[in-house]
Amino acid sequence: MPEKEEKPLDRLAAVDPEGLQQEALAAVAAASTPAELDDARVQYLGRRSALKLALREVRDRETGMTLNAVREAVEGAFEAREEELRRAELEERLASERVDVTLPARLLGSPQLRPRGTLHPSTLVRREVEDIFLGLGYEIVDGREVETTRYNFDALGFPDWHPSRSPRDTLYLGEQTLLRTETSPAQIHKMESQRPPIYMVSIGRVYRRDTIDATHFPIFHQFEGLAIDKGITMADLKGTLLYVMRQLYGPDREMQFRTHYFPFTEPSMEPDVSCFNCGGAGCAICKHSGWIEMGGSGMVDPYLYEFVGWGPEEYTGFAFGMGVERTAQLRYGIGDIRAFWDNDLRFLRQFR
Amino acid sequence: MKVPLSWLREYVRVDATTGQIAEALSIGAAEVAGVAGLGVQGELGFFRVGHVLEAAKHPDADRLQLTSVDVGEDRLYSIVCGAWNFGAGAKVAVALPGATLPNGLVLERRKLRGEMSEGMILAEDELDLGADHSGIIVLDDGLEPGTPLADVLPLVDEVLDLEPTGNRADLFSVYGVAREVAALLGGELLPMPGAEPARDGDEAVGIGIEDPAACLRFVGRLYRDVAIGESPLWLRARLRHCGVRSISNVVDVTNYVMLALGSPLHAYDHDLLRGGLVARRARKGEKVRTLDGVERTLTIEDLVIADDERAVGLAGIMGGEETEVSSTTKNVLLEAANFEPVGILRSSERHSLRTEGSNRWEKGVDPYVAGQAATYATQLIVELSGARWVGAEDVEGELPKPAVIRLRPERANDLIGLDVQAAEQAEILGRLGFEELRRGFRVPTWRARDVTREVDLIEEVARFKLPEIPFTLPRREAMFGRLSREQRLRRQVEDVLVGAGYAEVYTSSFVAEGDLELPEPLSAEAAALRTDLYASLLEPARRNADSGASDVALFEIARTYRGVGAELPEERWHVAGIADGDFAEAKWAVEQIYSALGIEPGYERTSERFLHPGKAARTAEGWLGELHPVVLEGVWSAFELDLDALAEAAPQVVAFAEVSPYPGVRQDLAFVVDDNVPAADVLAAIREAAGGLLRELEVFDEYRGEQIGERKRSLAFRLSFGSFEGTLTDEDVAPVRASIVDALATRFDAVLRA
Repeated sequence: MPEKEEKPLDRLAAVDPEGLQQEALAAVAAASTPAELDDARVQYLGRRSALKLALREVRDRETGMTLNAVREAVEGAFEAREEELRRAELEERLASERVDVTLPARLLGSPQLRPRGTLHPSTLVRREVEDIFLGLGYEIVDGREVETTRYNFDALGFPDWHPSRSPRDTLYLGEQTLLRTETSPAQIHKMESQRPPIYMVSIGRVYRRDTIDATHFPIFHQFEGLAIDKGITMADLKGTLLYVMRQLYGPDREMQFRTHYFPFTEPSMEPDVSCFNCGGAGCAICKHSGWIEMGGSGMVDPYLYEFVGWGPEEYTGFAFGMGVERTAQLRYGIGDIRAFWDNDLRFLRQFR
Repeated sequence: MKVPLSWLREYVRVDATTGQIAEALSIGAAEVAGVAGLGVQGELGFFRVGHVLEAAKHPDADRLQLTSVDVGEDRLYSIVCGAWNFGAGAKVAVALPGATLPNGLVLERRKLRGEMSEGMILAEDELDLGADHSGIIVLDDGLEPGTPLADVLPLVDEVLDLEPTGNRADLFSVYGVAREVAALLGGELLPMPGAEPARDGDEAVGIGIEDPAACLRFVGRLYRDVAIGESPLWLRARLRHCGVRSISNVVDVTNYVMLALGSPLHAYDHDLLRGGLVARRARKGEKVRTLDGVERTLTIEDLVIADDERAVGLAGIMGGEETEVSSTTKNVLLEAANFEPVGILRSSERHSLRTEGSNRWEKGVDPYVAGQAATYATQLIVELSGARWVGAEDVEGELPKPAVIRLRPERANDLIGLDVQAAEQAEILGRLGFEELRRGFRVPTWRARDVTREVDLIEEVARFKLPEIPFTLPRREAMFGRLSREQRLRRQVEDVLVGAGYAEVYTSSFVAEGDLELPEPLSAEAAALRTDLYASLLEPARRNADSGASDVALFEIARTYRGVGAELPEERWHVAGIADGDFAEAKWAVEQIYSALGIEPGYERTSERFLHPGKAARTAEGWLGELHPVVLEGVWSAFELDLDALAEAAPQVVAFAEVSPYPGVRQDLAFVVDDNVPAADVLAAIREAAGGLLRELEVFDEYRGEQIGERKRSLAFRLSFGSFEGTLTDEDVAPVRASIVDALATRFDAVLRA
């Protein structure tokens, strides 16, 4: 029951705020177990503690502020000490839980019999793309992600004023080092290391300074193909992509190519695949055009041959690039690219 | 670039539908983002010229007029109208009941405040021709009532939304697109619009170029007695359909000619200029207030247009506020210049200011079109504002000379993979304005920046032939494809973990802090490249657990990045996993990985800040352990291994050993050892002591109990012995067993239990 009894006002004089604080802090420091700390708490912060009684009866503003400051300091000390003791207790408990780490897992406990896990949809697409190109006789190259401006831009014919070079578009680590904005630098490295025939696909993470929304994420994955040999033509590029797209999206797919511009190919074309959803009649997936844009492609610009020290007409070749996430989005009907990075098991577990 | 079809067809005669034009452009020239119908989409017959015979205040509404209108029928129409800018006798635009307005409204006969209204007298916004709704459209007096309104006003149009690539500056104009359509579809390209009106004076304009590399050309024209006013409806409608706001007749002309020919223009109030105009570099710290009201401090890299005293505009990007053409302007100086692209791009970036003008200049506008742009603008200014054209100057900077490029038709065919006759190649190029000379093709001035090499000419031919190019595969004389060893091992590890119940995740390569910082981070959480993967798995693990998922087990395979003092950091593939459950979970997963790769790992106790102090181990390739509860609430285990190191450790080929035809002997031995002796050490000692007969060895039980003793445990081992000499018996292995017991007693004080 709460005490109703009036306390004389002069009791305040008996409370020395500074002394009280010191005493309480000393008691906090001295408590070495949670139980001792609880006792001290009752004594210094309990309803009948000198501090609480004084606070209840204080009438003037200044004393009130002083006492409240004391209360806050003491409460803070209790919380900190409580955390310390909890942590010490935890560490003690953990130390006693030592196991022999060299024992086989089944003697250490019983690992759960988990349902089969899943590969990420981007990995499923990546593997499929890799397998298609392996079948065509291409090698798969990972390439490095941190690159130099020389390989990411200069070698690929990006003029020095090109907006892609701006730090607003590209993530730089230093003056001349950056996170690759496409996987093509791997192709230049390959060309520098070996003469044609070159048939390769580079796959991996690429980076651009994009604001995250349903269609943009600053990290995504690309697969880019490169074929350089004697006598490679635009017809070979068209035929190769038709084969690949039919592998990915079904044997009935048709393709059209539209002229385009890229710094590292000439002529350049954008490939479209007939919509696998509506067959070309027009639907939401193909934005009612019957065609779905797949990426970029073109004939290797002779500039690249000269960059790696070959004659401009010794070989011809083609290159193309497409997005792994976009391919997965189209294949599985995933609307929002952020789903690839949310790592929600309810999403991931559907990809069996 | 918005291209109204009505405008396009003024410049090209072609027997093709809008759909065919869009298709041809899309394949051969530039992406078509869409074709939009504008204006009246329904039946045009309901739209007529009307003659207002009577107009009076509506008997029951002060703000409405009640009119009687002749629309060319044998009876008059009674129409209630809210506008007062006309009266009896006016010729107006009428929509009759049944008409569908551009906004979709279908008109009906209906009573308005008690009076029957049969249709609507139209304002320009109701026809999507302009923004004005202050009054209705008053038409020319000479028109016959009943004339189809579509003959008088541009009621219907279609607009192509074209997205040309950055190399095709010429396609940022209606005429340029017309040229392309004519070439692609075999139409007739009409001459460029614009004819010089008569000059009414010979005043000096005072044009100069101080930086001839940055300003390639500067045409100046002077007009007097300009009557600034509203543009006619056709002009306002065109601008509106191109997404450009109408300002006044003179300003609208500059925008219209820019859209028509692709060369941006600027008009100055001549009376506000102090002297003539010069294109020069800005002085350090020089300031100019641009039309958007922003005062801009210039650098010496910025090109400005200046009068004798100050900068009056940021060249090619935006004019200055002080010399802007306004309603009180009487005399106008027109600038039709040409600017070098990169300088404009840099200035535009520096001042974060992009305009219709800068967007064209930065792609490279044909310097030779500036003259025609000035001519066309002069014609329209004189026509629309009643101005007198009194002065003209044309100053040249460093005008580029057209290049001549050789084309080998067979080279083109070799690259394209299609046989295109030399004559046809020349014909295609001819249609695009490339002139065939003996030594090659002369590049037209509007393509000078884009076409500089033979391969660029080949592209011109190829883009006209894209649909005809066949689908073939490379002949492939020498090539083979195979995953590299590392790639195969990576797939194997993925499969092992999926089999063990782990779901693969993809997490960001960035973390909040690290050695490899981004000077301009994406965010506080994405400021550096990560050096390990496990930390990125904590958040998804927590979130999945919070959302109620059971059996949470995640893994990722990705790069880690470590600064090594070289120009580029070291990138290594890692695999990391996290699973709900105790140490055994991580141990199980790691055992599975090692076993799949054929590596015999050694486990040692380790300590890491983020791991449980008693349940953490390391191997040569990484670590595993139970997570410290302060890292992630609950009981979680995790591991991270260096995949590149695993690939190095994994045997290239299986080390096959012959299998003995003779049965072997199996023995189980249990030893009591000190609690802190790791099982692995005991195993190693057994193996060493057992000698050549030992085939298999494993620890299969651990036991603690009162009869074993405090701080002791019993470890049980299963040993198999075998020989190629013959069948083994217990007697054969007895000495081996004795030496094992001896060895363990010596090394660990181990006592054989059974």
